[in-house]
Amino acid sequence: MKSTIAVMADPDTVTGFMLGGIKDGFPVDNMEEAGEKLEELRKEYSIIITTEKIGDYHRATIDKMSSEDALPMIIEIPDKTGSIDRESDPIRELIKRVIGVEMVE
Amino acid sequence: MAQEMIEGVNPTRMELLKLKQREKLAVKGYSLLKEKRNALIMEFFNILERVKGSRDNVSQKLQEAYQDLTAAQIIMGDLAVKKAAMSVTESVDVDIDSRSVMGVVVPLIESETAQRTIVERGYGFMDTSVKLDEAAKKFEESIQLIIELGEIEKTILLLAGEIESTKRRVNALEHIIIPRLENTVKYIEMRLEEMERENFVRLKMIKKTMEETEVANG
Repeated sequence: MKSTIAVMADPDTVTGFMLGGIKDGFPVDNMEEAGEKLEELRKEYSIIITTEKIGDYHRATIDKMSSEDALPMIIEIPDKTGSIDRESDPIRELIKRVIGVEMVE
Repeated sequence: MAQEMIEGVNPTRMELLKLKQREKLAVKGYSLLKEKRNALIMEFFNILERVKGSRDNVSQKLQEAYQDLTAAQIIMGDLAVKKAAMSVTESVDVDIDSRSVMGVVVPLIESETAQRTIVERGYGFMDTSVKLDEAAKKFEESIQLIIELGEIEKTILLLAGEIESTKRRVNALEHIIIPRLENTVKYIEMRLEEMERENFVRLKMIKKTMEETEVANG
């Protein structure tokens, strides 16, 4: 299956990824706009790259989307201010819950 | 210990046979689910090997990329960088396939990010800085890493969900359904034996009374 990648993030991040060769960049300025855009994009694209900040703001929506279907794949990356210090890494939390012990350093 | 059992069963042979059948099925299902759970967990561990440090790699690479991007923006100006970015040609070629792990469909991504030379990127050299080239190169590398990370994280997410529900089912079978069935079977067996004994005693009693009346009459 042919698939497409989109970047939805703040303007600077989008510029960066367009420079890296992803043509479908969607700069958004505020969180509400990001939420609307996300709804639109999930129908058309199979990989959506977004920032951790947007991800945190729309956590519920994204969790719902990723647990429902295999696609789209929503990947959160740190933006240019660096990654958010989270108290717990959600993936690590998940692993702990599933396996029962802490695994990954 | 209060032994749990299924409510409202009649202690009959029919019911006993039915229950034994159900118990057999439950035990079979239990062993199958247990195997499934073990296979899933094994797969999960394999993936975990790959996830180690993958996220750190991405953030580190991105950090460098952002630094170069900012430098390029300082040298060339925001607008010029954006203009250059617009003219960059598409570099990422992604194929998403899926593979099934014990019935869980997980994505399998094949991506090709061609490492391009500066000429192939598509912006002009006249008004661009070398920092822009660096930034573009680093973003290309990051994209590759990000896609890989996405695949891994998605797989982990899907597998974890399946493992959780399988675990719950295995536990429900092991700790609730099977013991309950066993107890009910035991209860019915006991009741049937008890009834047989009652019957036996009753017959004895009748025989005794009959004999007594015979003696009295005769």
